Amino acid sequence: MSPVDEQQPQFGTLAPDNWKLAIVVGLAVSALAILSLPVKDSFWVTGAMVAMVAAAFVVNAYRRHYYGGLLVSPAIAVLFVMNIFPLLWSLGLSFFAYQSNQQNIRFIGLHNYEQLLTNDLKAPELWGNLTNTAMFVVLTVTAQMIVGFLLAVLFAKQFPLRRYLLILVLTPMMLSVVAVGVFFSYYYDPTFGLLSQAIKAWAGGEQFILMSNKAGAVAGIVFADAWMWSPFVMLLVLAGLVSVPKYLYEAAAIDRVSSWRRFWSITFPYIRGLLMLALLFRTIEAFKLADLVILLTKGANDTMTISYHVIRIANEQNKTSEGAALSYLLLFVVIVLTNLYLYIANRRARGN
Amino acid sequence: MTAMTKLKGLASAAGLAAVLMTGGATMASADEVTLTMAVPDWPPTRIMKKMFDEQYKPASGNTVKLEVDFIPWPDFYTRVNASLTSGEQKYNMAVSDSQWLGAFIEGGYYRKINDLIDADPELKAAMDGMHPAIRNAYSTYPYTSDNFYGFPQFPDVLINYVRKDIVCNEEEQKNFQAKYKQKLPCTNEELDDMDWDTFEKVGQFFMRKKGEMLAGKPADDDFYGIAYQAGKGYDFSTSQIHTMIWQTGGNIWDETQVPKGHAEGVVNSELSVKGFDHFLRLLQYMPPVAKTGTMDIFKTDELFREGKVAMNIEWIGLGEASLDPKTSKVSDKLAFGLMPGLRGADGKLVRWSQIGGQPFVLMTWNTDLQNKEAVGFVKWWLSPAIQNQYAAGGGQSAIKTVYSDPKYATYRPWNRVWAPSLDWQKDMWHVPQFFELLTQQQDQYDLAITGKQDAKTTLDNIAKFQENLLTEAGLIQK
Repeated sequence: MSPVDEQQPQFGTLAPDNWKLAIVVGLAVSALAILSLPVKDSFWVTGAMVAMVAAAFVVNAYRRHYYGGLLVSPAIAVLFVMNIFPLLWSLGLSFFAYQSNQQNIRFIGLHNYEQLLTNDLKAPELWGNLTNTAMFVVLTVTAQMIVGFLLAVLFAKQFPLRRYLLILVLTPMMLSVVAVGVFFSYYYDPTFGLLSQAIKAWAGGEQFILMSNKAGAVAGIVFADAWMWSPFVMLLVLAGLVSVPKYLYEAAAIDRVSSWRRFWSITFPYIRGLLMLALLFRTIEAFKLADLVILLTKGANDTMTISYHVIRIANEQNKTSEGAALSYLLLFVVIVLTNLYLYIANRRARGN
Repeated sequence: MTAMTKLKGLASAAGLAAVLMTGGATMASADEVTLTMAVPDWPPTRIMKKMFDEQYKPASGNTVKLEVDFIPWPDFYTRVNASLTSGEQKYNMAVSDSQWLGAFIEGGYYRKINDLIDADPELKAAMDGMHPAIRNAYSTYPYTSDNFYGFPQFPDVLINYVRKDIVCNEEEQKNFQAKYKQKLPCTNEELDDMDWDTFEKVGQFFMRKKGEMLAGKPADDDFYGIAYQAGKGYDFSTSQIHTMIWQTGGNIWDETQVPKGHAEGVVNSELSVKGFDHFLRLLQYMPPVAKTGTMDIFKTDELFREGKVAMNIEWIGLGEASLDPKTSKVSDKLAFGLMPGLRGADGKLVRWSQIGGQPFVLMTWNTDLQNKEAVGFVKWWLSPAIQNQYAAGGGQSAIKTVYSDPKYATYRPWNRVWAPSLDWQKDMWHVPQFFELLTQQQDQYDLAITGKQDAKTTLDNIAKFQENLLTEAGLIQK
């Protein structure tokens, strides 16, 4: 390569790798377009300017041999367009009074947040939905961890038909949530449902109505969720169990170590990381629980979760900016919880 | 790379952008018009599409294509809402629940059609030939004003689905007479003249355990007297509860009284509470799923078709499935009556009812040519010959000359009760706040239906919420 390639072009020269000039021109043209053209056209002009700047960056990287950056740039571009940009956009929206089915938009600062946290109609609703969500997180994740762990211990052993049973056990995880929801809503139905028929046949008397109170409705949702996602926990734990070197167990057998001690000293350290991972995944997922609630109870019997609440506000009622504000409150809670969890997990790991 | 090549590159990029931008506009040529329509996927819209494809010849001589997006009911609102609010301008027409009018008119999507009606005497005649209750519900915003927006696609009302084999059974007739000193309604006339008290007695009378005698045979499963919607989703209890409140003499927040009408004192008035209590009292004679908040219109329909209840209050729109032996265990045992009413002091029945069904609307971004062809399509659709054909295929008609023709009653067993129901139909709200009003009240109703809260508290909560929301929106002014 000639040394000319490695020189940065002068700011004033018109060159495809002059990214500084491209940024300035891009910003100026965009600003002009936004001020002078109708929204529809300025949108495309601004888009074209963004593309131009990106192209300048790419050419620049190519000429300066930043191949590493060049290689990850498609991934970063996708991440920005699909993830970061919408995230920032919705953060911006949360400071406006905006409904997606109306044409006007007005800056109102923190009013949306203030309303959600202090309004005497909205705040108790939000709090109620948050506590419900917390309850679902604790119950579903506990159920999944216990069942998943026990299943993994079972499947770590060899027994006849293990492979086929394993496929069966993994099936719920692969089903669509809608199918699971419809299946369980029939399962719980007092007139047509298997559960009610079975209990009636066994105990007699009235038809059994599982979903007629909060405890029953919550139990129904938690059971369906655990049924679906315990296999996921099992899969992760099983991977850990299989990875424990056999010779450790053999050594323990020679030392005549109790099975309890064998578990804590050999098995557990191998699966702890994966257990933590499963716990983290499932906690985040459980925090977003909405689909099963919609399918099984529609939030009846006080089973409304915060995600379902967001869906209703943002999608059904078109209150876009209020929904965005609510989502950011939710995101904040999730980030705090996740960090807290990671902190504890790390400290444990260091302690050992 | 030189400045020249860069300029060339820019020029070709601009050319490409220009092609992309104008590509959409050049599609509609003078003699081929495509109308894209969003509709829910069910027989009334399938029939319309089929009739259009087979028979429609535009008077203008243009080639008109109707492209229809059939969307499943549970997703229908979400999909239409997403398409409209995203600004993609995909549809030229859409079927819409009448209550969505305000929200989508204020958003600038649904087109006002007064100018089209005024410019076209034939269309005006068709609009004037409609039953006023339906025209008000399906076309006006604000409700009952003179601003028109929609045309009826499938009008619908609540009626009573009855198990003839059970209510007309001699043994049951005798026992009912002995227990209540009145005749168990069986003939069409008796069913049409039924009030809610009799309906309640039917409910109480037909609660049977598995193995108990039912119409001369031991019941093969638990059997229940009556059913109506009491679910938490969409408007699946509102329609019936409004009906009961109106009949008792109470009211909901009345959109036609803006800006003077209030929610507090009206929504939770004594008569409204009485009406709501009446609704709640009947739930004890219904299948136990009523206590879970999931007894929506599809569940009651299923319970009826599976032969679990004697009478079911249901929309006509779900009726076809109960007539079809493939989907119904009771297809050969059916009778239909007017929905019961509340008997006044003069012995006459008060029958106010929440209207169902859907209009379809035009969009604001349609070209003049598209509008012209859409009007042609609407006129064809509302013409008596086509409306008769539609009704014969399972639809309903809002056009007076069509439904008052004696042959109309022969199309379907429930058509007999269609015309007498219409005078009593009212709609809830067309204001843009509809979804907030609806979801909040559905949540509150559900608390009462599942026994967490009494009628008075429920209506108090609803009134408070509505007063607050509607005052903020400027629809209630002190």
